[in-house]
Amino acid sequence: MTELRTPPSVQAGPARLPAPGALRVILGWWRWAWRQLTSMRTALVLLFMLAMASVPGSVIPQQGIDPAAVAQYYTAHPALAPIMARLSLFNVFAAPWFAAIYLLLFLSLAGCVLPRTFRLVGSARQLPPRAPRNLARLPLAASYQTALTPAEALESAAGLLSGKRFRLRTGEGWVAAEKGYLREVGNLLFHIALLALLGSVGIGGIFGYKADRLLVSGQSFGDTVTALDQFRPGRLVTPGDLQPFSITLNSFAAHYVTSGSTRGEPSSFDASLLYSDRPGAPEHRYLLQVNHPLQVDGVRVYLIGHGYAPVFRITDGAGRVVFDSPVPFIPVEQSGLTSEGVIKVPDADPDQLGFAGVFLPTAIDINGRLQSAFPAALLPRVSLVSYAGNLGLNNGQPQSVYELVTTHMRRLPVAPRPLAPGQSMKLPDHAGTLTFTGYRQWASLAITYDPGQLPALISGILAIAGLLLSFAVRRRRVFVRAAAGADGTTVVHLGGLARSDAAGGFETEFGSLTAEITQSHDGSQLTGPADRASDGPASRDAAAAFDSAAAAGHDAAADGDEPPASGGHPAPDLSGEPPGSRTDSEPSLRNDPGE
Amino acid sequence: MPINSGLAQLSEDLLLFTIVVYALAMLAYACDFAFGRQRADEPATARAPELVTAGAVAAGTAAAGTAAAGTAVAGGAAATAPVTGRAGKAAAGGAAGRPGDDSGARPPAALFAGSTPRRAGVWVRTALALTIIGLTAHVAGILARGISEHRVPWGNMYEFVAAITCMAVIVLVAISLRYKAYYIGLFVLLPVVVALGVAVTVIYTPAGSLVPALQSYWIAIHVTAMIIASGLFIVGAITTSMYLVADRHERRVAAGQPSKTAGIMLHLPRPLVLDRLSYRTILLAFPVWTFGVMAGAIWADQAWGRYWGWDPKETWSFITWVVYAGFLHARATAGWRGRKAAYIQLAGFSCLMFNLVGINLWVTGLHSYAGLG
Repeated sequence: MTELRTPPSVQAGPARLPAPGALRVILGWWRWAWRQLTSMRTALVLLFMLAMASVPGSVIPQQGIDPAAVAQYYTAHPALAPIMARLSLFNVFAAPWFAAIYLLLFLSLAGCVLPRTFRLVGSARQLPPRAPRNLARLPLAASYQTALTPAEALESAAGLLSGKRFRLRTGEGWVAAEKGYLREVGNLLFHIALLALLGSVGIGGIFGYKADRLLVSGQSFGDTVTALDQFRPGRLVTPGDLQPFSITLNSFAAHYVTSGSTRGEPSSFDASLLYSDRPGAPEHRYLLQVNHPLQVDGVRVYLIGHGYAPVFRITDGAGRVVFDSPVPFIPVEQSGLTSEGVIKVPDADPDQLGFAGVFLPTAIDINGRLQSAFPAALLPRVSLVSYAGNLGLNNGQPQSVYELVTTHMRRLPVAPRPLAPGQSMKLPDHAGTLTFTGYRQWASLAITYDPGQLPALISGILAIAGLLLSFAVRRRRVFVRAAAGADGTTVVHLGGLARSDAAGGFETEFGSLTAEITQSHDGSQLTGPADRASDGPASRDAAAAFDSAAAAGHDAAADGDEPPASGGHPAPDLSGEPPGSRTDSEPSLRNDPGE
Repeated sequence: MPINSGLAQLSEDLLLFTIVVYALAMLAYACDFAFGRQRADEPATARAPELVTAGAVAAGTAAAGTAAAGTAVAGGAAATAPVTGRAGKAAAGGAAGRPGDDSGARPPAALFAGSTPRRAGVWVRTALALTIIGLTAHVAGILARGISEHRVPWGNMYEFVAAITCMAVIVLVAISLRYKAYYIGLFVLLPVVVALGVAVTVIYTPAGSLVPALQSYWIAIHVTAMIIASGLFIVGAITTSMYLVADRHERRVAAGQPSKTAGIMLHLPRPLVLDRLSYRTILLAFPVWTFGVMAGAIWADQAWGRYWGWDPKETWSFITWVVYAGFLHARATAGWRGRKAAYIQLAGFSCLMFNLVGINLWVTGLHSYAGLG
């Protein structure tokens, strides 16, 4: 990646862009902006901006995750909330500014990764660079003497390196070997897989849909928009795209821990379903549980909630049964599953009736207040407040089935008395009778269709594979030079250079390589390296040919424009020899007398 | 299945025992610092080969081992180049040199300051033995807990903290044995003892069964990956903090300024060694973390019908991932290496810790399993 702070005019020099003045300036700026965007520094800044931008999404309640908490926030901070809503703070991950950050980041990524991919493909057969003149100036170096001729020594070293699957290049008196191209492959694979992952998420968002449906046991529904409680389609999903399956909830059972410190916590939820793929198709059974979604026709159905639906039979003043069905109550707390719900009886005469109430699965009296002590229905009670009047269902305002609008209703003076199953409550003024006949359970199902799922999974696996590859493989070069020495023997110089070896480790490989090459030249004699300084300009040149280190992603190697010897490149983070150690030179390492 | 309360009790006793033994091990590591042989009084030049050694041991090849051993006994200069040259000699000549028979000979012990092939001192050996005894009890305690509950024992915050501290100590022992980096022992065990102490007192949760949402084999995959990565990240953060201290010390010394940390620095290796050690743990941890996040996504898809939903825990695991990714990139960028990268790593670690503590305690979400209601 380019470290570029040059003004644009320099970039778009006349020699490179024979365009008229204004266009040239625009192109220059464009090129400069593109280089800025795809620079490592920008990518880093964008990465951190992405991290920072995610933080409010975890601290401020989010519409998509907990709408109730958002509503609560509005009540608690009536002045602040609308401003925050304008800033998309209740919907951070769909906010334009959040999208801007990740799109810029991925654009930067693409701008870096794609050219590098082309370059990698282009270099598939590229040979290693020529061996530097003075191998002793490389970060790792060794030398020894051998009785073999220079040609033999080189041939043997080349054979050994080739056997270790180094890519070789030979020249007059030298062998250059390089290995570890898979590192760049892994690195690019990782980043391309991330781009693909984002694409997969996008596909899911455009072509997928999510829906919810609450189902009291015994009820069934077909997957049509009208039968769904909530339908959140992707941009390009129409109601006709829904798969025509239908589901019946046969029964629902919840089990709870009955003793110990986790008493009252759920231990299992089992929803017994009957489903058919399309109208008229044979029905199948399925035991729907958390962590075990139902797959039907490419759609997945999840068990995401449960609760109680007390059943009421209501007769009106005229003695007609105007209501007889289960009413789903919504849990307001989990430890006792205290649930709230409303009953609307629009057909009652002379007045419409409405009830708001609480269902207590295990009702116990604590200081005169009824509370639920356990989530299972061990001692179910219902407590209701009764209203008569106009429910307001026909005034054009949409109403939630879980909410009673009492503005045009009067509260009936009924002594609040909790009802046990089978018990009735007589309404005053001959308004009618309500009987709590029993209860059923309900389960809420989430229906999701996400065509981006499989691509996302594949992208994820490829990303990890690429990551492992780029971390595990080290790109390194080994050079061998052999020349006739003064005393008739052959002096062999070895040099090694590892790119992005900040974690260390290449010294070892180089050490063992050296040992093997030496051993293969049987009868060779070891001499000390003449010079091991690597701070010198010569080594800088050699190192610069290797570009800078890169752990992942935008790396200096992507910048192919710079000449190899450019001093602007940072010295590679190689063996990381501490400067102090180099002062301790011990150039002569002749053989010990004993050997 | 009912909880085996006897085993659950045994698990708690084992964890208490673990804390005591770790504390003793910590004391022994501290004694090594206080009374053990100092390292920095040896010539600075003698300190570089530890990198080579580290590498050599890491590679684990016989040849490499020979190379390192050859170097060790040959004594002499520090730079890598002659080292490898002599390694070749040692291998080719087939005769390892003897201490003192080389030019510029020093006792071999002097060569490997900070990560010695020289025999570890008595304090270090004591500390290491205690650490391993503690670790055995730690692992046994976690196992007992799991068996008593008939499930993987990482279902709440107490169990998770017990597990990540265990992983951190496993990493400590591995590094100690492999890289001879005994100097990190004290600094790893200190937070481990504190965290375990908090675990058994403040966030203790009795053995119990899992809620339906957690009843999946994915808990064994996703949470295990998170534990392994977290343990590595912990050690990475500790070594990187040590790097910052050591680097600061070296800079001050180089600038001729007084350094407050001179005392402790006598026992620490060069900053570069710490930096590399830290980097290696992150290189291991990051792919594991990535895998853990993805395994979590797959599980979320199984359990909740979406693979990513920006639940607070998910969001912070993403933030953690992004910051550590930033760290890896920073290390590859001129002008960001060294201290800046180290600070980024620490920022990533802070995110990790906030996700563990802050999100568990203060934020409600789908991942609210801490068991601290």
